Amino acid sequence: METLSLLMDGFAVAGTPENLMIALIGCFIGTVVGLLPGLGPINGVAILLPIAFAMKLPPESALILLCAVYAGCEYGGRISAILINVPGDAGAVMTTLDGYPMAKKGLAGPALSMSALASFTGALLATIGIVAFAPLLAEWAIAFGPAEYFALMVLALSCLGGLVGDSLPKAMTACLIGLLLSTVGIDANSGVYRYTFDMLHLQDGIPFIVIVIGLFAVSELMLMLQNEHTASEPITITGRILFNMKELMLAKWTMLRSAFSGFFIGVLPGAGATIASAMCYAMERRMAGKDHQFGNGDIRGVAAPEAANNASANGSLVPMLTLGVPGSGTTAVMIGALTLYNITPGPTLFQDQPVIVWGLIASLFIANVMLLVLNIPLIRVFVKFLSIPNWLLVPGVAAISLVGVYAVHGTTFDLILGTLIGGVGYLLRVMNFPIAPFILGFVLGDMMEQNLRRALSISDGDVGVLFASPISIGLWVAAAAMLLGPRLMRMMEQRKAVTA
Amino acid sequence: MSERIFGGVLLLVSLAGIWIGWDLQAPMSYEPVGPRAFPLLVLFLLGLCAIALMLEKTSETVWAPPPVLKRIGLLFLIVLAYALLFDKLGFTIATALMTVPVARFFGGSWKQGVVGGIGLGVGMFFFFDRLLDVALPTGLWLNGILG
Repeated sequence: METLSLLMDGFAVAGTPENLMIALIGCFIGTVVGLLPGLGPINGVAILLPIAFAMKLPPESALILLCAVYAGCEYGGRISAILINVPGDAGAVMTTLDGYPMAKKGLAGPALSMSALASFTGALLATIGIVAFAPLLAEWAIAFGPAEYFALMVLALSCLGGLVGDSLPKAMTACLIGLLLSTVGIDANSGVYRYTFDMLHLQDGIPFIVIVIGLFAVSELMLMLQNEHTASEPITITGRILFNMKELMLAKWTMLRSAFSGFFIGVLPGAGATIASAMCYAMERRMAGKDHQFGNGDIRGVAAPEAANNASANGSLVPMLTLGVPGSGTTAVMIGALTLYNITPGPTLFQDQPVIVWGLIASLFIANVMLLVLNIPLIRVFVKFLSIPNWLLVPGVAAISLVGVYAVHGTTFDLILGTLIGGVGYLLRVMNFPIAPFILGFVLGDMMEQNLRRALSISDGDVGVLFASPISIGLWVAAAAMLLGPRLMRMMEQRKAVTA
Repeated sequence: MSERIFGGVLLLVSLAGIWIGWDLQAPMSYEPVGPRAFPLLVLFLLGLCAIALMLEKTSETVWAPPPVLKRIGLLFLIVLAYALLFDKLGFTIATALMTVPVARFFGGSWKQGVVGGIGLGVGMFFFFDRLLDVALPTGLWLNGILG
């Protein structure tokens, strides 16, 4: 019952006219960013974070804005997937499989409205899941000491490193570069200057925003030039907009099942919306029996991935809020946002900052209702954004990105550093280095080092303290399994395929 | 091949980092682990990963064809120049100047580039600086005129 009253307090925070307005703007921007091919949730959150900071929004409003953008992106990705067969963000890849065929058959309206409802179902169920599970998890994690914390962060990094990318050394390299960059600046404990190369601007370390904009905005522009495709005309929406009763009945269990699995996949660190939507699509296809239309425009084929990717996007907020350990690139950027406001993420967040946590959760409920309302009747407005030409979009994104970096310190040094990091980021991305472990390493680096040093201070330098408690041993084992497990399984499958 | 070269560069970087990091000692220490241990640990692991990258048999990186690569390089230089001039020329002029060539790269005409550039420069300046209170540089030249 305590949870409910806290949630009500949250609604009081999220329901102030100013925060409602912010959530509405966030939902709108998020949907637009989501539907533009090339820009996804991580770019949207990365570009808006410095601007929210520069506008001096209070922390809860800034987080409400970022979460609304995040939620909106997951809705927006499906629009371009259905109308031009190009996913607007990575989570919408599976939606193209049945969404585009439906649109070609003249069923664009039902495909869009059903996927909006599926997105809503997924997000709503997952938000309820956050309310139910997050406080429990936070309470359990509060007993963690520095040694357990260190092991937990290693686990988070290995989950991401084990699951993404095609090669383990690449994922680990990305993560280690992030960790290394986090050590630049004055060491807080001893006052020693580390890797500042006598540059005044590096004394406080590399600003988080500079890294984020470089990696996710500047390098993205270069990739957009590389992957430039001739923009295809979006299919015009004709006929009915709303799905009918028969279609709803067909898809209702699909939506619920996918929302459920999506949430739990999202809670696991490392596995994000992309994996969730692919798994749920495959599962529904298998369960559909003989007379399914999957691949040729089955309504369940748009409902499953959309419910799953929205549920998992919200589910991935659980480890971020309760453990302070983000499980995906986007939530890593949000953790960075908290640290910009000098809020230490972690299990104590629920106790120390109830206004922020519960305000954010309540705003997720509100944002999803707004998104459903925005996405069904106003769908034609959003479709217009598909025709923004790249020659205007790209310079616009470049300008907004630099505005964000400039807003932090107002120095040319930061702008140039961000651009250079963007150039390196482009090279890394072309060579298939995953970028999410990079940003996660950078965000967690300082906390990891502090916890390691604290643990070793307590034990007076004995490394054994890291493996002393059952919890930390469990975390280490899990980390090793996550890092090596997926690869061992793949190798075994390959061997089987060779011998067979 | 690209991965091997990158691995080699990375190995050199981590060795240089360890070389520099070796001297990171606190003059007075109250704790068993000083400022040196964590970066050195990370650099050591990074060096191992660099060696693994050089040995690994992975699929080759596919680079964009040379003409596209050249344009991507130019785009990078334009953004770099934009970053350099952002403060000096002021947001409006720097943005307008950046937009013209970038618009050309993405299939816009000269006219679209110029009109779009002026539109973005002026429009975004008013939107951010005036409406949202995010201070943007007006540039040295304007400060001179306004005194």
